[in-house]
Amino acid sequence: MEKPRVAFFDFASCEGCQLQVINLEEDLLKVLEAVDVVTFREAMKEQSDDYDIAFVEGSITRKSDEERLNGIRGNAKVLIALGSCATLGGINCLKNFHSQEYVKKLVYGDKASSYETYPSRPLKAVVPVDFEIHGCPINRDEFAMVLKALLLGKKPEIPNFPVCVECKMAENICVFERGKTCMGPVTRAGCGACCVTEGSFCWGCRGLVDDPNADSQRDVLATHGLSVQDILGKFRLYTGFSEVAK
Amino acid sequence: MELQLIEKSDHDQFVQNLISNYQVEGVKRKDGSFLYGSIKAPEELCLDFDCTAIPPRKYFLPPKETLLQFALTPDLEATPVIENDPFILFGVHPYDIKAINQMDRVFARGVPDPHYLKRREAALIIGVDPATVAPRSFWADMGASTVSEGFDLMLTDVGEDFIVEIGTNKGRTLLEEYAKTRPATRDDARERVKIRSRISHICKKRGFAFPKREIPKLLEHSWKEPLWEERAGKCLSCGTCNLVCPTCYCFDVQDDMDLDLAHGERTRRWDGCLLHDFATVATGENFRETRASRYRHRFYRKGLYLFKILDDMACVGCGRCASGCLPDIADPVNLFNKLREEEK
Repeated sequence: MEKPRVAFFDFASCEGCQLQVINLEEDLLKVLEAVDVVTFREAMKEQSDDYDIAFVEGSITRKSDEERLNGIRGNAKVLIALGSCATLGGINCLKNFHSQEYVKKLVYGDKASSYETYPSRPLKAVVPVDFEIHGCPINRDEFAMVLKALLLGKKPEIPNFPVCVECKMAENICVFERGKTCMGPVTRAGCGACCVTEGSFCWGCRGLVDDPNADSQRDVLATHGLSVQDILGKFRLYTGFSEVAK
Repeated sequence: MELQLIEKSDHDQFVQNLISNYQVEGVKRKDGSFLYGSIKAPEELCLDFDCTAIPPRKYFLPPKETLLQFALTPDLEATPVIENDPFILFGVHPYDIKAINQMDRVFARGVPDPHYLKRREAALIIGVDPATVAPRSFWADMGASTVSEGFDLMLTDVGEDFIVEIGTNKGRTLLEEYAKTRPATRDDARERVKIRSRISHICKKRGFAFPKREIPKLLEHSWKEPLWEERAGKCLSCGTCNLVCPTCYCFDVQDDMDLDLAHGERTRRWDGCLLHDFATVATGENFRETRASRYRHRFYRKGLYLFKILDDMACVGCGRCASGCLPDIADPVNLFNKLREEEK
């Protein structure tokens, strides 16, 4: 069997998700045995437009991004969104709640007129996306799992249960019980509840589960002392593009 | 019934002797709560806990485990993975022992599950009577204040000493080899009864307003109660009530391949009937699509379906589901009492 040709691309992002792929370390060598990486700006200088699988990081924040993304979609048989910016619009969507002129001036000052911008959006708002690997950054084991599933021709098993499940499996004491608040009850698992395990709380970076009970989560947050504004802020941090944050 | 006595000043040495000869797992403090974990020194072991955040079930049904390893050769090679390293589980409350007794029956039914059963056989269980009651516990009302089997030794703190009930010959050997003991007197035995009834009395403050044997009958005609929908409206489908339950045992099985695509392992991990995809099948249909149907299912499972198999509720009254549920809808006491009220 000929090895599939794989390419990596990025739009508005910190490129940290691609870094996670490089961080696969010894498993990276096994990945390179299974596939041919033909484009990966962060890791190599060669590039090619002839590829089967495209991993795309970043959100779409300019009209001109759309043409480039359409080009990638046209070349790739399978397009996979890599990380929160690409799957949800991510934290880049925080600017959507301000006027675009305002945010442009805030960043570029008197050079603002030289730059274009529009409300941030996930890849799927522009082109069809075949699979999504969530997270800020992605979980590299999940990246490997998705890649293996593609090579085997099976559907990747991306969890559709909240982070609470992985907290119980990791035997974490509930964040709410520790007197803090958490987005875990509505956030898609798959991270192994890493932030809570390390003593923090869930920020919601993997986005919402398919059928989140956002109303109940709002009630729970309010019961634990958050104001309406704080609660909205919790939902907007990563899922600003979704309906629940409106 | 055979009762012995360990003086508290000799207890640490007993624990130390066990640590020197066995892998000892027991209750430790963490973030203001209690969890089971490896005990490396006697002072780590906590015996006056009210209830652990996660039940001891994890020692027999771990969060994630490998069932078998396979190689995709023409004949397909598969090797089962069975863990049976001996260990001591030190400090299990009677209600959790009752749950383990129920799980022993569940995993031995039909096709016996060697992964569970071998781990279970490898365990020595040292029970301990609760010294305090967790705010949501109702084990006294569930008939789980004491158990007559399922432990090798059972400790009761009676002030200056621990009274030890010997449950099995293995327990007796453990005591003979590693503890300094003397036989308990009739007065000691009476003191144990008194202490047990005092703590049980505190726990009885929570419970059902009607005999629990009537729960199956109550459920048989409660299928269409609006209460299910009402309560489930707040359900986060987070599965916490399932995952902290000592009598929930559902799991999901998956094949994890290596990157060489030639080797892999079959794993299973905890699952829960409150989770959205729990009843989703390969073709995509979900037999319990709504929150209400999943919420109702859990109570039917505990109070009716498993009752028919165990001749008892698959609930021991630990109250972990009640204290872990953020919208506070999982408490069986609250639910069944309300259901009974609506019935009238």
